[in-house]
Amino acid sequence: MEEEKNEGYVDIWGDNVDLKDLVIAMAISVVFTLGGFLIAPGGDPQPLIFGLSGGIIGFLISVFIIKPKRILTQEEGEEE
Amino acid sequence: MDASIIIQMVLASFGAAVIYTIIGIAPGTDETAVLAPVTLALVLLGTSPYVVLAFFMSAIVAKKLTDSIPVAIAGIPGGVMAAPMVEHAMVLKEHGLPDVSIRKMSSGSVIGTIVAIPASLLVASLILPVADKISAHAGLIFFLGAIFLALMTKNKLLSLSIIVPFALLIQGLRHLYWGLEIIPPTQTVFVSFFLGITIGPIIFKLFGLMDKEYRNEQPGLGKKEITMKKSKPIRGFPNPFKILTRKEVGSATLGSILGSITFFLSPVGMTVFLGEFLTRHIKDPIKRASRAISTMDALTNASYISGTLVPLIAIGLPLSPMAIGPASALFNAPPVFTPEHNIHHILSTSEIMIASIIGAAVALLVTYYVTIKYASEISTFVFKRIPHEALIGLFTGLVVMLAYMDAGLINIFGVMIVALVSGLLHRHGVNYGVMFMVLYAAPWLLGLFS
Repeated sequence: MEEEKNEGYVDIWGDNVDLKDLVIAMAISVVFTLGGFLIAPGGDPQPLIFGLSGGIIGFLISVFIIKPKRILTQEEGEEE
Repeated sequence: MDASIIIQMVLASFGAAVIYTIIGIAPGTDETAVLAPVTLALVLLGTSPYVVLAFFMSAIVAKKLTDSIPVAIAGIPGGVMAAPMVEHAMVLKEHGLPDVSIRKMSSGSVIGTIVAIPASLLVASLILPVADKISAHAGLIFFLGAIFLALMTKNKLLSLSIIVPFALLIQGLRHLYWGLEIIPPTQTVFVSFFLGITIGPIIFKLFGLMDKEYRNEQPGLGKKEITMKKSKPIRGFPNPFKILTRKEVGSATLGSILGSITFFLSPVGMTVFLGEFLTRHIKDPIKRASRAISTMDALTNASYISGTLVPLIAIGLPLSPMAIGPASALFNAPPVFTPEHNIHHILSTSEIMIASIIGAAVALLVTYYVTIKYASEISTFVFKRIPHEALIGLFTGLVVMLAYMDAGLINIFGVMIVALVSGLLHRHGVNYGVMFMVLYAAPWLLGLFS
């Protein structure tokens, strides 16, 4: 946790995101999924398989370069 | 059906359970997008129809069990059908109970599966005598479904008044693509519009944020603080009837029966409506949320299964939102399956039931165990490691690719406009169910004007 100050994140779909990181993640994902789809050498269903694999690769890259904006604390306690 | 086919069915079901346990956890994986192409590929490869059906049933049960995980921990639907549960799962998440919501949801799923298989057989045998009439009036049925769901939403007037305009948007784009000869007249854009509706709220918010003034008005947020309570580990094989309270089992069962009967309506719409309806009276927010998610999960699971099985057993045409989307390859995968020659025609009712039971049982044994046992570990891992940005990015990437696949570059913009309109409507109280119904009813509805 680097700094305590307000970092200016935005709530999108129930969690806090950094807009710049979001744009980067979206760009990476779109390039890899659509790219995978377009470079597939064969016919159906190859483009889809390449596209989905591209999606997974793009997702892993995003996971690697972007840090989650969450602070997690574990608390001892009984389950309701 | 001999022993070797049965062994193949079990193996295929096991494979499907493993693959779709992983895919289900990955948030934003749309059911139609992840199930239809794989099933289609299996059919085209010449796999035995028994094995295809067992694979498909195992896949939907496994996917449904695990798509509750991203809902519970990140508030992101693991699939379209999980979208209605987000609100309630968020209540539990805010109280630091994401693992409870995973357990409640997956136990709801189990009940949904157990109830839906026999219920589907019953419903199918009831509608068998009128099957021909039903298939002749599918458009009308979807239209009435849209009106019905519109009357159940918070904003009834808006929901009712957008039915025709929203159908115009959908059909307008389709006719534009046909007119520009981007796709042949025999082909209809469906999956990407479906996804466009789903991604609507995100796209709407992002477009709003392009306005600098609106952006500056946003309250700058810090990091999201999440407190997780340590829960007691469950010993032995988890028992859904112990995880859920008796009342939860009751409303989950009732929800599953209603979900099976309304197989022809949009599962998302029915889930929203019935889930709210059956839990509205509960005051305590935690109890209410936990009752709501177990009921809703049971209901979506039941409408998944009945939406596939009832048309498969009784009609042989994809006459439910489920059958027209994720399960479409079981009805139509030319040249192997056609509307005149598909699983409905090849397998007898009892063979359909056996294949379904094998698939569902294998998925329940494998996936339910993993989900319940490791829900807490999975939650912690995802919170610490998986940024929300990456999830939204992945979802966007999939939507863009499928938009391109459906009708080329122009459709990326087409889906954008569908998403913007849906996002706006969604913000003003029109639920997904109404929009999905309109998507199905659009060709028939606008045909009335010609």
